[in-house]
Amino acid sequence: MPVVNMASSRLGKLIPNVSREKVLEMLPFAGLDIEGVDEHGIRVEYNPNRPDFSTDFGIVRAIRGLLEIELGTPRLKLAKKSGHSILVTSHVKKVRPVIVALVARGGRLEDETIKQLIAMQEDLHNGIGRRRRKASIGLHDLDSVSFPLTYTAVSDDYAFTPLGESFHQTIAQILRETETGRQYGNLVRGSDRYPLLIDKNDTVLSLPPVINGDSTRVGSKTRNLLVEVTGTDKKASDDVLAIIAMTLADAGFGIGTVTIVGGRKKIETPALEPTEIVADAKYLNQVMGMDLGSNQIIRCLRKSRLDAVARGNRIVCMVPRYRTDISHPVDVAEEVALGYGIYNLKPTFPPAATAGQKSLLTNHLSAVRETLGGHGMIESLGFSLTSRQIQYESFDRSSENALQVEGPKSAEHQILRDSLIPSLLFALSRNVHEEYPQRLFEIGKTFHGGGDIHESWNIAAAVAHVDASYTEILSILQSLLRSCFGKAMKAKAAQSPFFISGRSAEIVVDETSVGAVGEIAPAALANMKLRVPVAAFEIDLSKMLHDKGQIA
Amino acid sequence: MSGSGPLHPIERDILKSLAEAGLIPIETLAASTHLDIDQVRRGVEWLKFKGMISVEESSSFVVLLTQRGQGAATSGLPERKLVGAIKGGNDTVEKVRQSGLLNNDEVNAAVSAARRNKWIQFSDGGRMSLSGAESPSPEELILQKLRNGSLDLSALVEEEMRAVELLKKRPDYIILKEAKQTRISITPAGKDALKNLDEGHVERKLTTEMITSGRWREITLGPLDVEAPAPAVYPGRSHPLVNIIDEVKEIFVGLGFEEIDGDMVQSGFWNFDALFIPQDHPAREMQDTFYVSGQTQNIPATKDQLRRVAGVQDRGWGRGWKLAEAERMVLRTHTTPVTLRKLAATKPDVARFFSVGRVFRNEKPSYKHLVEFNQVEGVATAPGLSLRDLMGLQKEFYAKMGIKKVKFWPTFFPYTEPSLQSMVYNESLHKWVELFGMGIFRPEVTRPLGIRNPVLAWGGGVERIAMLRFGLDDVRELYGNRLSWLRGVPRCQL
Repeated sequence: MPVVNMASSRLGKLIPNVSREKVLEMLPFAGLDIEGVDEHGIRVEYNPNRPDFSTDFGIVRAIRGLLEIELGTPRLKLAKKSGHSILVTSHVKKVRPVIVALVARGGRLEDETIKQLIAMQEDLHNGIGRRRRKASIGLHDLDSVSFPLTYTAVSDDYAFTPLGESFHQTIAQILRETETGRQYGNLVRGSDRYPLLIDKNDTVLSLPPVINGDSTRVGSKTRNLLVEVTGTDKKASDDVLAIIAMTLADAGFGIGTVTIVGGRKKIETPALEPTEIVADAKYLNQVMGMDLGSNQIIRCLRKSRLDAVARGNRIVCMVPRYRTDISHPVDVAEEVALGYGIYNLKPTFPPAATAGQKSLLTNHLSAVRETLGGHGMIESLGFSLTSRQIQYESFDRSSENALQVEGPKSAEHQILRDSLIPSLLFALSRNVHEEYPQRLFEIGKTFHGGGDIHESWNIAAAVAHVDASYTEILSILQSLLRSCFGKAMKAKAAQSPFFISGRSAEIVVDETSVGAVGEIAPAALANMKLRVPVAAFEIDLSKMLHDKGQIA
Repeated sequence: MSGSGPLHPIERDILKSLAEAGLIPIETLAASTHLDIDQVRRGVEWLKFKGMISVEESSSFVVLLTQRGQGAATSGLPERKLVGAIKGGNDTVEKVRQSGLLNNDEVNAAVSAARRNKWIQFSDGGRMSLSGAESPSPEELILQKLRNGSLDLSALVEEEMRAVELLKKRPDYIILKEAKQTRISITPAGKDALKNLDEGHVERKLTTEMITSGRWREITLGPLDVEAPAPAVYPGRSHPLVNIIDEVKEIFVGLGFEEIDGDMVQSGFWNFDALFIPQDHPAREMQDTFYVSGQTQNIPATKDQLRRVAGVQDRGWGRGWKLAEAERMVLRTHTTPVTLRKLAATKPDVARFFSVGRVFRNEKPSYKHLVEFNQVEGVATAPGLSLRDLMGLQKEFYAKMGIKKVKFWPTFFPYTEPSLQSMVYNESLHKWVELFGMGIFRPEVTRPLGIRNPVLAWGGGVERIAMLRFGLDDVRELYGNRLSWLRGVPRCQL
């Protein structure tokens, strides 16, 4: 989860007259996790559905509501049209079609504000922006820009001075040689043209979503800002711009619109009109399990920084544009609950109208555990996702048909096991210094490919000691089948890569082969660094019970 | 004697030997019992502890011969050789030297000893004559005595003591050594114990023959040392984590929940799409989720379900929902697809289901994180169920697990609204720890599947509970299968 740093020095200014303890107490009830606290400040984790929490301004906005310092939708009065415009050419449509923008005037960019804005930009890029694919942000010094701007697409030999450099580079060079170029270049490759935002004098503002130009860079002396958001997704770009607008307004800037001109179409951005969501007061109460009057509901919503009015039995909630997480009456219900205070909700226990029951499988497996435990066997637990080395190479089995996963982060977990026997031997291999005899069993899923994946519940057991033998394990197996399932079995001589040739058999129950039993091949024992003989069996419980409809 | 336990066969043999023997050295005891000295020493320790014998430790000096002393005992002391030489006609010291009968360096010592014994007299010209040299000197007498072994100094008479003193002055004939001696005698308690033993014919082992023949009437079965430890044996048992899972299942059953089970490999559709998780959600990327390589399958859903879920996805997240993405097979990242499929298939008005099973996350395993772990999940649906009911079910569940203090914080999950996380107070760690996440299924999840009533859902990892219960600080221990742990961890945590 993304993290916001709330500096102690700012907290006092943004939430005056409230103790730090009170703030710490309230943060979790706004849905924020406290990641760390020290003398410099509080580090807060926020959930990705609340990108408006990506700066301390956003968090303070919510806390001020819960503490009733300020209620209802925060005020953001758009200045009248700035008169500035961005012309969008048709060339850019195929590459990165969306652009929206705003101007922000008269604020002060303190160091901490700049830090917050940079962190917000990063979070928005990764979250809503989906690593800049759907939307990316460019911040510019408004006073170094001459309108109108043009958003167009150019070929890769176009050259300009990218941010932080002192000389011209071609787009091809930038994509090849800079870190951001390598990281984000693939988002605009695919055609032979690259998106570019330039001003009236052909000064380059940005090569979205890769890098800005150097001429419009923002510094501590910047008073007026131009913010442009480009992307492949209009809604994501609007969301991002709305959150930035609210944040800059909180930072003391006056927000003005920019006209986007594409062919004959003109739109003013940012579009910040609130959305109305109408919810039955009864429904809101039902979700919470409460019985609040309309006025109480409205008060709760206002504490969650949302304006609302009652219309008969209905509540009309005005959702400001930056609250991208609210789209349905149920989201409004949660806002009521947060405003009411989760800590004020008293748990109620709904009595059961149904009888509880464990599954038949659980009951069968409990019986298996009891029986094998009765034979002195200890249950081990292995992973379904195991290593090729343990599952196949140790037994010199071909892993051609192994079900493997994409991009595993560790070699211990790369393929789905098709048998439990390797897991048991691996468990034994980790206990060579423990007292013998050792008798282990495992119950687990196995996975089989070739067409649709088939899963089955298997039971495997192994005995390991100087006198471990086929006869011993066969006795246990017979006992298990007889005591648990009332089944007699036949052993039919068969070869298996796990077992010594001539000392292994197929297990046949009701004319169906349900598993294998034998003495483990010495080569496998040696591969597993085991020094005593091991005999083992494995049966597929699903095969035995499937016909009876006992296991799905 | 009470509490001293029955007698070991060694103890019995020792007591029997001592019964008539009085105070005897331990070596003698070993000989009379035909036990080896170490067995006797052990038995003596046990019996002494039980007060059945008394043990006297004494130490004394013994004198014994060196190799040179042994030689002298056989072939005579130098003064005896001198007497021989004089008898042979070598009547001056000079002649004795020349005769070679004595070593050169012995001659002076021999002469002075012979004079001390008054065996020789010197006359003019240095001629030596013998007198009274026939009887042995005290030194010779003690030497002969020592030929048969060491002598205790305390057992010597005064004259012998003087002889020892003299011999001591000569270089390297005898040595004096301190010797420890252990002597044993039986006590009245020991005699009593012996008496008890002697009553009747004592058998060590009850046999089938004794039981069936009725001979058991004539014999006495000797008591066993019931207080001695027995060798360790280990029971077969189910895995401790499985025990915790069973416990969780019992609680669910007690709260009216029915258990369900399903596949671990699920389509993206049921794992994500049907849960209103957008197809470009970061959680669906390969960094977090395991996809089975090259595996796409027909989605086990009706045409209607596919169409409606696709519609909700498009409306919620913008057009562009792809069937192909939904068909990719993933190792389930939670058990919710199992629950959801059950709800979608049965569309119950009132139901309570739970499931426990393995879920997967593509992470690097660490002491905190496993790639594969068990998730427990419960859902309850009925008309009018609310957030407070959800909280109430949690409280009840935790109370049955022995957890008293619970609090709830709001949080976010893509498929529930409102969403909460529970914090429970751990009494042994003295801190709040996060446990289950929960919420009410979003309408975007329930409506396309025809589920009408609110669905309360919650879940979390079982391993976390097991770690707290067993006091583990590395979660991997639960899957390490170390027998030392599995054989030792108590089945019931008192």
